[in-house]
This record gives sequence, structure tokens and C-alpha cells, in this order.
Amino acid sequence: MTNTVSRQLMTDDEMASFVINGYHIVKPGLPTGFNQEVYDELKALPSNPGDGIYEAVPKLKQVYESPEMHGALTSLLGPGYQMFPHRHCHRNSPGTLSQQIHQDNLNDLRIRDGQVRAPDKVELVLAMYYPQDVASNMGPTVVLPGTHMLKAMPDRMASQGNFKQQYTATVDAGSVVILHYDIWHAGSANTSDTVRYMLKFLFQRANLPDVPSWKHDSENNANIRQRLESESPMTLQRSLNAKQRHMRLRMWNYLTGSARIDMSYRDKWQGPWR
Amino acid sequence: MPKLQRLLYISAESTHPQSPALSAAIYEPVADSVTQLDPTSSALPYDSVHAAIIDGWRLIQAPDQWAGIADEAAGDVIGYQFILEKMQDYDPQ
Repeated sequence: MTNTVSRQLMTDDEMASFVINGYHIVKPGLPTGFNQEVYDELKALPSNPGDGIYEAVPKLKQVYESPEMHGALTSLLGPGYQMFPHRHCHRNSPGTLSQQIHQDNLNDLRIRDGQVRAPDKVELVLAMYYPQDVASNMGPTVVLPGTHMLKAMPDRMASQGNFKQQYTATVDAGSVVILHYDIWHAGSANTSDTVRYMLKFLFQRANLPDVPSWKHDSENNANIRQRLESESPMTLQRSLNAKQRHMRLRMWNYLTGSARIDMSYRDKWQGPWR
Repeated sequence: MPKLQRLLYISAESTHPQSPALSAAIYEPVADSVTQLDPTSSALPYDSVHAAIIDGWRLIQAPDQWAGIADEAAGDVIGYQFILEKMQDYDPQ
């Protein structure tokens, strides 16, 4: 690993935030005017190139192969991670309606139900690059924090409307929002007069984690455990909260491999009356 | 002027009507009206089912306490859904 990349590795706190929230935002260092050039190239495409978007707009390599992305993806997926062959250029035109909240699904015929969920692992991530500023009326991606540990039933939830603590990705041009593949999300309504592009790429883990692949310091373990056990990025019913907290601890120890935190029972209540 | 039914869906943290609302949507009895995620605001019209009732909404369906329990593997739904109505005068024009 080069020094440039190792400087870009995530910290313990950033990794814990990803485990808790299910997303992480990266700002690759891109030259001035770069995002506008990508936007113009996308706008000039006569049709949707599908998985061929990487070849149709070669500038995208500067985003996805940047040291910042390499550092974040190495942290989350370990060394040797791979770009998945499926890619998609989402073109959200003025007047586009909101999608339903959903989990993505590869519909792989080799897998029962078409999809394996990984609520206690990080095996696959979505990396969404926005080549223009995204204001709240431009169809930003809406994410429900912490839902990557749950299994969505979009049709049953279609009537629910807005969630009080949804995260709306109103981001600057050049931002990449990295999402756990299983997180619940939706493209939202574009009521502006501007086309909003989002390039969705997938990256997958190549090897099981054996040691932390980020800037890890075991001195932080007590604080990390405290965060994993207590933070609530979005209020849920108690039964789902319990499931979520359990999955977080399992995910952290999966990611840390041999450097796992001792999660055995501890007395959290001894001390001053609360 | 006909009285038409407005619908309010609130998903709450528990089956208790005073528990916090987690999500909400209003469906208006107006042709071409679209209810959808609103990325410009995540504020909810009411903080709880109880607050909506105080404002004149009538409960027409309470959540099924047993929904999903027999088939946990099927998936998760966030919140317990209450459906409320309010009859209101609407000008068909």
C-alpha cells in the first residue's frame, strides 16, 4: 500500500460510524472543472450505456481510482477489493417522482430469493458519485441510517412517506456516498429544472478480514464498544433496535478479524445512581 | 361542496398512540395528487397519533400487534402503522 493511500485510510471512529449508519462520504481530490466536464459528457450520451458507462466516460476512473476512494474502499472491504461488473448511470430528470424506499437486489438466479443479505458483514458496497451539486429539490438520494442490518419489504412500506430521521444526500459536486449494499434508500423527486446524475458503482470484498484494514488502534476499543452499544442514528421500535445493536457488534468483530473487541458480558450499571 | 376523506398514515415507535411518530404521509382526495418521499423536508405533520387526534383526525385502523411475528424471516417493517381520516369539504373544481 502506498503512503498516499495509507494516509486516506479511515479511522476507527469513521469505521464505527459506517457500521452504525451504513454510509460514508468521500471527497476525492479532483481538478477544478472536472465535475462539470463529466456532467457535460454524461449529458451528451445519446443513450444509456448500462454497465459500459465506465468505458463511455473514461474520466470516471479518476474518481473511482483516486487515493481517497482507494483508502475508503480498502478500509471497508480490505486489500484487493474488486469493482463489480454492474454499474449504472442514474439520470434523474426534472419531474421525476420519488422511488419507494428499497434495498437493491442483484436478482442473481443462482441464489435463493435472488439476493444474499449481509447484515453483520461488509461484503459489497455501493459508491454513488454525483458530478453536480445536489440540492434538496434535485432528487437527492434518501437513506434510512442503520437499516443495512434489516431486511426491507418495500411494498409493505410504500404508504409510509417521509421518515423523521432520514438522511438526504444533499452533497457538493464530486462527492461519493459509499453505502453498505443492504441499506434502505431511494432516489427522490426532482422538482428542479436541472438533470441530476448519479453514477452507481459496486465494489466487493475479495478476502475474509483477518486484521483491521483501516487506521486501527486498540486503545479506542472501549469507546468503539460504547458507540456500537448506544448510538441510534434513526429511532426504530425497540425490537428492531435490539437486533440492530447485536448486528453492529457482530459486524465490528467480523471486520476486525483477530483484533476483535471482547464483547463478553460486562456490568454497565454499577456506579452512581442514574 | 362534498365532504371527502383525507387519509393520514402514521408509523409509530410502538402500538401506543402516544409513542413518537417515525414516519407519516397524508393522502389528499384530489385527482393527480401524489404522495411521495419529500427530500426538501423530513418534518412530520404530527409528532404522534395522539397529537393528530387532538387536531381532529379520527383513527380508522390501529396496528396489528401480531403482524409479522410468525414469519420474522420475511423481513422488517419500521414502525407500527396507524391510519386516520379527516372528512373535509372539497371543491371539485
